[in-house]
Amino acid sequence: MGTAIAEGRFAFPVLEGIHLIGLSMAVGLLLLTDLRLMGVFLPQVPVRQVHRQLQPYILGGFAVVIVAGTLLFFSEASTLIVSPPWPFKFFFMLLAAVNALYFEFVIARRPEALPEKGPLPLSVRCAGLASFVLWALVIICGRMIPYIPHWA
Amino acid sequence: MSLVKLLNWVQTSRFAHGIAESNHLLIAFLQVVHVFGFIFLLAPLFLVGLRLYRLVLTNYPIEQVVKQGRKLSLFGLSMTLSSGLVMFLSAPLHYYYNWAFDTKMGLLVLAIVLYVAQFLCVAALDRRSPALARLGISMSLLSWIAVCMAGRAIGFV
Repeated sequence: MGTAIAEGRFAFPVLEGIHLIGLSMAVGLLLLTDLRLMGVFLPQVPVRQVHRQLQPYILGGFAVVIVAGTLLFFSEASTLIVSPPWPFKFFFMLLAAVNALYFEFVIARRPEALPEKGPLPLSVRCAGLASFVLWALVIICGRMIPYIPHWA
Repeated sequence: MSLVKLLNWVQTSRFAHGIAESNHLLIAFLQVVHVFGFIFLLAPLFLVGLRLYRLVLTNYPIEQVVKQGRKLSLFGLSMTLSSGLVMFLSAPLHYYYNWAFDTKMGLLVLAIVLYVAQFLCVAALDRRSPALARLGISMSLLSWIAVCMAGRAIGFV
């Protein structure tokens, strides 16, 4: 399958395009949620509403990203694993996942964490900022892969 | 001066040489800005689309969603257009003879026209004809997806 993708004329760019579109939906909507947690986007809308309502579309986008990303990996696994930004990308993804789980299962469950109105607690704003920065780093590392193919 | 002569003049200019001969990480940086711009451009459009289809934020006025999304989306558009322009100016003839690039530019014009129409009148259109507003946002999103697909093909044709 990896060889078929690598050798097909348009399979690779089509998968790359799907990867980017899924990323725009998943990470894009996630960044909007993060900006809401930081209090700079849709400040009048209760944060719980933004968080809960966008979640299915963020997860749907991630499903597309993971499927396309896995197929892209199969097609150039030997090149990817020696590229320095590649392990960093996964390291930042892991940190972003830990941050998301901590927010979901610890911070968001505190009674005072997500008030309907008014300023959000520092822990919520920090979780939003951490998510924003970590996903930005994931994208930066991902885009750097073709430009830094191996350690110097 | 013909277009090819103009592009040839740009390609042999000090500016183009400066970019083309600079560290390859400059192009990588421009690519990062280009991708971030695309994400910031598209995410608010997705949000407006979901709101128009009554899937999210249904008790929040569409005008507010559009107004809030517009600032971020325009910021993304300016990022993606400016980084794309600098990359183009580094090797304009190379892009000029690439059919995927020509396709991308045609689609980009269509996408920008639909984009401007969306942000200018989608809220009013949603009050008069929600079906038409949904069609408009769907066309706008599809046009950007087509721009993205054509863009990814540039390096492969």
